Amino acid sequence: MIFRAVEDGDLIRQAARGGVEAFNLLVSRWEKRVYNYLLRLTANREDALDLTQDVFLKAYQNLRKLDDAARFAPWLYRIAHNEAYSMFRKRRPETNLEDAPQESAEDGIAVAGRSVFPIELSLSVTAALNRLSPEQREAVTLKIYQGFKFEEMAEVLGCPVSTVKSRVYSALDLLKAELAPVRRGVS
Amino acid sequence: MSCSPTDLKEYFLSELNLTDSGRVEAHLKSCSTCREELERLQLMQAALGSLREEEIPRRIAFVSDQVFEPSALRRWWGAFWNSSARLGFAAAAMVSGAILVSALTRPAPAPVLNAVSPKATQVSAQTFSGAEIDRRIQQAAAVEALKAVAQAESSRLAEIRQLRDDLKKARYSLAVATSEYDMAARRQGIVNVAANGYGFPKSDAPGESK
Repeated sequence: MIFRAVEDGDLIRQAARGGVEAFNLLVSRWEKRVYNYLLRLTANREDALDLTQDVFLKAYQNLRKLDDAARFAPWLYRIAHNEAYSMFRKRRPETNLEDAPQESAEDGIAVAGRSVFPIELSLSVTAALNRLSPEQREAVTLKIYQGFKFEEMAEVLGCPVSTVKSRVYSALDLLKAELAPVRRGVS
Repeated sequence: MSCSPTDLKEYFLSELNLTDSGRVEAHLKSCSTCREELERLQLMQAALGSLREEEIPRRIAFVSDQVFEPSALRRWWGAFWNSSARLGFAAAAMVSGAILVSALTRPAPAPVLNAVSPKATQVSAQTFSGAEIDRRIQQAAAVEALKAVAQAESSRLAEIRQLRDDLKKARYSLAVATSEYDMAARRQGIVNVAANGYGFPKSDAPGESK
């Protein structure tokens, strides 16, 4: 007997026909990544969780519009991006995204209640990320933490690939400079 | 190959194809500056990795609820508008239906039949073949022609009768005039005889009398 892992494409097709269980399985595969992406954008766990639920609800309602199942990830993150920025606009239509209230850096470095890296390093990384512009921070999140290709990022962010590259490269240069004093601690 | 920070970043980010990656790797073997730059990028990545992903505080799951699930009608409607073939078929069906309704509700061409016979008005809604229509048209034309001929004959007959009457009057007048002339001539002869033979006075000649 040959066992084949159920791929996302199979789940997407079943969910598009109304299969709730298939969609729940799909959610279980992606909810952590989407939640952490939104957590990087909002720096607020409650907002990130609420937005994650909204994202998957909207994804379920619009899954039939997804033509290519292979493009599910950028399509899903595009919804997440839009939901996050929609929330920003509703809350602070006239203020900058950089002024968003953020939780303390210490809250973001614990894994299962324990810190796996020196506290100083995590604090420095969080501080360095916070010095980036929201666009740069989102680009770094999608590239470094989520592993998207430039073309997929362009689809998520709704901008040209050249713009994506520019944001990533400038962010890397800034992070290199910011994290230079602490990199000995990593090595 | 000369130093290219952009290529090095793309190599670091795994955005290069195999050929370009091999070219950068060959360059790295001979360029200490680029090796150090790549090392800095890798250290930065390791530092960024110190921020691990968090577990989601509450798992997300959906139940089969009508509130969230599109209705069957809505699914069908969405599928309908997303299918060009179905849209085309629906458009063709609508055009066919419009033609059929137009054909059924179109008034019958009955004015000619109405002139032929009152009974024709009762069958105006019926449909006729081409031969039947031609036959009825010829029949109506024949009736109209007979009517016209009869009217013409009646008018001519009236004229003839009028002429006959006029002729009779003329003949009567002529006869009366002739008779009066004869009587006047006879009277004049008698008067002449009486005057010549018996000495009676003469009166006017017949042509001179009124």
